[in-house]
Amino acid sequence: MQQYLYLIPALPLAGFLVLSLAGRYLSRNFIAGIGAGSICISALITILLSARFLQSPPETGAYTQVLWHWFSVEGLVSNISLRVDSLSLVFICIITFIGALIHIYSIAFMREDRDYARFFASMNLFVCAMLMLVMADNLVLLYLGWEGVGLCSYLLIGFWYETPGNYRAANKAFVITRIGDTAMIIGLFLLFKELGTLYIPDVLARATQHFSSGADGVTLIAILLLCGGMGKSAQLPLQTWLPDAMAGPSPVSALIHAATMVTAGVYLIARMHTIFELSPVAMQITAIVGAVTLFVAGCSAMVQTDIKRILAYSTISQIGYMFLALGVGAWSAGIFHFFTHAFFKALLFLAAGAVIETLHHEHNIFKMGGLRKTMPVIFWTFTIGAAALAALPLVTAGFFSKDQILWYAWSAGGGHPVLWALALAGAFITALYSTRLILVVFWGEMKTTPGHLPSRVMTVPLVILAFFSVAAGWIEWPHNILHVDLFSEEVQHVLPATVLKEGLPAEIVFQLIAVVVSLIGIYSGYSLYYGQSPLLQQWKQSPTVMSVRDFFFSGWRFDQLYDALIVRPFLFITRINKSDISDKLYTAIANVSMLLNRQFSVTQNGSLRWYVTGVLIGILFIITLQLLL
Amino acid sequence: MNELQLIPLLPFIILAMASVVTILLIAFRLSHTVIQVTGFLMMCLVVFATWYVRDTLPEEVPPLFIVDGQAALFTGVIIFCVLVIGLFSYIYFEEREENPKEYYILLFLATLGAAILTISQHFISLFIGLELLSVSLYALIAYLRNRNNAVEAGMKYLVLAALSSAFLLFGMALIYMEAGSMKFSGIAEKLPQVSSSPLFLMGLGTIVVAIGFKLALVPFHLWAADVYQGSPTPVTAFIATISKIGTFAVLLRFAQTIHLQQYPLIIAIFSVIAISSMIVGNILALRQQNLKRLLAYSSIAHFGYLLVAFLPGNEAGTEAAAFYLIAYSITLLSAFGVITLLSSREHEAETLDIYTGLIWRRPVVATILAISLFSLAGIPLTAGFLAKFFVLSAGVQQAVWLPLAVLILTSVIGLYYYLRVINTLFGTSGTADVMQKTVHPFFHVSTYITLVVLAGMLFWIGVFPGLVLQGIRLFLLLH
Amino acid sequence: MFTDTVLLSATTPFSYFPIVLQLCAALGFVGLTMFATHFLGPKRKTSDKLVTFESGIEQKGNARQPVAIKYFLTAILFVLFDVEVIFFYPYAVNFRELGWDGFLAMLLFVAFFLGGFFYILKKGALKWED
Repeated sequence: MQQYLYLIPALPLAGFLVLSLAGRYLSRNFIAGIGAGSICISALITILLSARFLQSPPETGAYTQVLWHWFSVEGLVSNISLRVDSLSLVFICIITFIGALIHIYSIAFMREDRDYARFFASMNLFVCAMLMLVMADNLVLLYLGWEGVGLCSYLLIGFWYETPGNYRAANKAFVITRIGDTAMIIGLFLLFKELGTLYIPDVLARATQHFSSGADGVTLIAILLLCGGMGKSAQLPLQTWLPDAMAGPSPVSALIHAATMVTAGVYLIARMHTIFELSPVAMQITAIVGAVTLFVAGCSAMVQTDIKRILAYSTISQIGYMFLALGVGAWSAGIFHFFTHAFFKALLFLAAGAVIETLHHEHNIFKMGGLRKTMPVIFWTFTIGAAALAALPLVTAGFFSKDQILWYAWSAGGGHPVLWALALAGAFITALYSTRLILVVFWGEMKTTPGHLPSRVMTVPLVILAFFSVAAGWIEWPHNILHVDLFSEEVQHVLPATVLKEGLPAEIVFQLIAVVVSLIGIYSGYSLYYGQSPLLQQWKQSPTVMSVRDFFFSGWRFDQLYDALIVRPFLFITRINKSDISDKLYTAIANVSMLLNRQFSVTQNGSLRWYVTGVLIGILFIITLQLLL
Repeated sequence: MNELQLIPLLPFIILAMASVVTILLIAFRLSHTVIQVTGFLMMCLVVFATWYVRDTLPEEVPPLFIVDGQAALFTGVIIFCVLVIGLFSYIYFEEREENPKEYYILLFLATLGAAILTISQHFISLFIGLELLSVSLYALIAYLRNRNNAVEAGMKYLVLAALSSAFLLFGMALIYMEAGSMKFSGIAEKLPQVSSSPLFLMGLGTIVVAIGFKLALVPFHLWAADVYQGSPTPVTAFIATISKIGTFAVLLRFAQTIHLQQYPLIIAIFSVIAISSMIVGNILALRQQNLKRLLAYSSIAHFGYLLVAFLPGNEAGTEAAAFYLIAYSITLLSAFGVITLLSSREHEAETLDIYTGLIWRRPVVATILAISLFSLAGIPLTAGFLAKFFVLSAGVQQAVWLPLAVLILTSVIGLYYYLRVINTLFGTSGTADVMQKTVHPFFHVSTYITLVVLAGMLFWIGVFPGLVLQGIRLFLLLH
Repeated sequence: MFTDTVLLSATTPFSYFPIVLQLCAALGFVGLTMFATHFLGPKRKTSDKLVTFESGIEQKGNARQPVAIKYFLTAILFVLFDVEVIFFYPYAVNFRELGWDGFLAMLLFVAFFLGGFFYILKKGALKWED
């Protein structure tokens, strides 16, 4: 099986190449076949691979394959090779499986689009880049995938580039993630300088010998890597690009939010776990960033009116949970939340896409309503997804993963009551806005007449995803309820086990609190948004509440803040430096070269005598040198 | 000397036979095609002979020659180049009414000269090889004597080559006077006594003139552009590749045997020459509108780069130089191949306006030219990039910082004119399509295929250099 | 001390100073002579002096008559073969010492020689009439 490893990223890449080179000559069916087919075959291979992996784990704990040896000079070995251990395996499964479903969905969703081939080409490249990112065995290749993901997100967010807002959104996503990328590459340079290698297993092995715990060097590296993760995973303070990234088609959003891109940061931190463990400070920062992000984004999600923006903020908030889990040292819990989140978030986005498409590109949830009867399949799948997001106890996957995180937020080695409180507040808010979403979109009176309903190609992936949104959680139960821990057992081959604090109340207490909080959240949502709630009306009159709402609505005014702090001063500087001072150096080089060119050209006058003189000047010069030295 | 020692010389004997056979073929009035095919087969025979004698290497044939891995490597590259150039020559000369047959005699003789340079370990053989090469080249350059510039170019080359040969002889005489030997190893033995003698050093210095002339290094470079422009294009390719490979090979052997790099004086001379070659070559090319002249200036700069690999005088430097020469030859062959293919009877395809918008008219040919220019500019994924990279790393090992800095800076300047040509390729096409020549479909197609293969090799070496590097190391171990 | 190590030692650049002096003297002599004759000698410019000197006989017509290229070709071929024949001389002197090996080598040499000759014949280089 190991020798077919390369096919997993190679097939999407081949799909990309075929579609981008010959896309305009192919029929739509053919394009769809190649675009979705490549990913589907990848997914099949992945499933076979993981079956083999689970049945008989390789001795080293990983499948490896060297694809290409470019050159090696003085210790710098430039290889392209793949390495799949259980952590990567989780990511590959999610990326290919959910990617395949999203591609199938897109066949019907994008059917009418003019740039069918371009869409599938970019999607394939996106998947390929993400696969490279998680399958890379050295950080250089990982960085290549990392940048590839950034590039593809730019291409896809700005897919409908004719609308001016869209390319702005694409630019914003690219520039803001770039900030994180820059921090990350500096981190990688430092890592190479300290350890002399970028081969991931070596990095992890040498780090423990080279650094003492809490050393400044390792803290700096960990924080820089964390910044990279924050940019890609849209964590505070680099989160502002993700809500705007909704400008792309819905399958793109699903892909970005569920399978690729935003989870890259989670992967990076989990992959570099040794570095982070060596630096308690960086771990704490990770946890705090996660906790604050989940709360901040949750609040914003609560008041949005655009269905996709609600989901976007909810993604930021859920990734915040993952960061929180990683930060407190609950490694497998974080990855498990990624695993379950991927299913229900993809489901929510695809279902939302179907709703938007049916309602003639209507994004505002308050102009939807009453879709329960007209679109039953969408309604049920969307509800399952939202329930999983709200962590409805026991029947949804979201519950199992989020419950673990809430418990570890206090009880794990790096846990703290404040973190726990923030996470709990986040859980409440999540339940609240999930309920709001369902009630406003599917109940009440119909405000927009639906167009033709989504075809079966679109609904079947939704049903599959809905099944997994329920069932995916059952492979990992809380210890005190049922002793099933298939997931963490597998992941802990790679990631360290979670260390618990002593002397805390029993786990069941925390679980009950969490359950109660999310139920209260659901109930509050119900009481506020089912029918005409008097409280809501009262709030709408109050200026204080409305100003808070506006504050949340604008995403805590981060955009305005950055605008004032960074964009305006920068624009000011550029206005002063219109004729770019640093450019002068380069124009000077060019001008000097041209000047010299004119001078030297005179020597090429075609006269043989002068040429002979040239030779004589040469010999004179040599003799002079000889006499001088 | 006995018969056994002749065995390693077999490839060179066959190479010499090739011109004799060609003479006889001409005497029997056989056609151009027959001569071409026979020449091709003879060259293949040389390759086989090299393969056949590989086990006997390294073998010294005292006192003149030594056939070792390095010699075999450079001879291999030379034969490869002459195979390709021979193919280009067919369609080039068949287009023109001149009698093309004697051309092959001269071509093989010149190749023999270059090949002898790679195996020579004695001043006599060095001189014979160099003269064999030069004298054949005088005639080759002026071969199309009715064309503009041809005789002028030949004349210039003749006078300057004679001048540099004079210096070479003078230098040899001075060294012989001091060291009492003309054999490289003999000189090396006497080194402790003579190395501080000014006459000896002056001898070395004057030999540099002859080498510098053949490699077109500043300030002995002035002939390059005129000769490149005036020669028939296949001959230009010959001067740019084979003649320089041979000369560089003998320089390398001489330097290795007497440890040339131990003299600060010689290092200083070569550094100054390398630096000024890089600067002058690149800057002269900046506004050049004639592709052949542009390639001439570019080759001046490239041999400046190559000297940077030569300066450290270490193992890595030799490897880098060999790799550089291979990458450079393939690149230039494909560039000159394109020029050959595009030249018509009336016009040499040398001015840049012919290339305006070529990509829309002849996409394959234009792509090949673009690839070779990218390789010359040293863009990653092409052979040229890795070649430059190895040169840099060889230089860094010995910390020759100033030439390295100049190398990097001038590479950037060089990028400008390579990209300018590529830019021209993509311009809007003004000229009408040239009539396709289908006079010799077989040779036309095979030239085409050769060009595609060469361009493919540029990529292949740039992406998977492992095999080539391994080969070079294997060859260089045989000494 | 200085004279010992620098001036009298044969290996410093300075020990070639006499050669430089001699070079200067030689060049100076040439320059001086040319300069001196230019000033010293009397100058009489007459038209007779510009006429080609034909040992007293009156000149007739232009000497630059076209000569058939065949003439040069034949001449140069003569020189070529003549020079090659010179190699027979050392062989003849060492005929006995070289023995059969020498004979074979010479035979090879003559064979190449004849090959060239054959080529010239076939190309018609020796045919005077076209």
